[in-house]
Amino acid sequence: MKDFRIDHESRGPVQLIRLVGSLDMYSFPRLESQLNALFQQGRYSLVLDCRDLDYIGSAGLGALIGFAKQAREHNGDLRLLNVPERIYKIIELLGFTKVLQVHQTEDDAVGSFQAK
Amino acid sequence: MELPENIHRKESADKLLIQTPGHGSYLAYIRAIVGDLARKVGFDEGEVAKIEMAVDEACSNVVRHAYSPDKEWCWQQRDPEIRLDIRIEGSRLIIEINDHGQRFDFANYRPARMEDHLREMKPGGYGIPIMRNFMDEVQYSSNDQTGNTLRMVKYLKKP
Repeated sequence: MKDFRIDHESRGPVQLIRLVGSLDMYSFPRLESQLNALFQQGRYSLVLDCRDLDYIGSAGLGALIGFAKQAREHNGDLRLLNVPERIYKIIELLGFTKVLQVHQTEDDAVGSFQAK
Repeated sequence: MELPENIHRKESADKLLIQTPGHGSYLAYIRAIVGDLARKVGFDEGEVAKIEMAVDEACSNVVRHAYSPDKEWCWQQRDPEIRLDIRIEGSRLIIEINDHGQRFDFANYRPARMEDHLREMKPGGYGIPIMRNFMDEVQYSSNDQTGNTLRMVKYLKKP
């Protein structure tokens, strides 16, 4: 069982955030405070790399939706990258992929902001 | 998987009892135990993921709402605890999640439709719709002696 971890680096104006472990109601406040800190710095273009994400619950999904909404209000967005198949099937079934953009490669995800 | 000392697990052929402290740090263990059992009784990986998520949502609600520090359970001088009673009956997996925290008016709770919530990009309110979407039966009961019990059923094969 992996401990939840958040790694962050910049790709030009885009913030690449790598999530490791499980994003549930216990761990999501940590992501929330990290994203709030980025928003306070005016960084609204976010890519969340989910390749090492084991699980996401509704608290995590709801938070992502809320942050994507705030980011869009500032001409940015929150987009997902490398979503594991098991998680993708669940979020697709629930309809979250209709609201959140999902990308397969880092170039595609980061480039999608420049293409705007 | 090695469990922390304060997770108690009792297993027989068709029954599993888990008792954990009512704290969010135990949710990952609950998901793993329930997922393993669901896999063992024959659910495919897609259904296992749904069962894990439904149980996680239910237990998260217990931690967040039933055992919220501002609710009256604090006065009862009892440590918050989650008890899961899981059994196989024929082709049904029955999961009962019990707590002794604040009761919830489940019958009269009318969550917004998920589609509407998503369209408006609301940050919360998805837990109960997810449980109802992913399980075949979801019922909640509450009484002063036994506490609050959420009963969820998943059919291995649809009747």
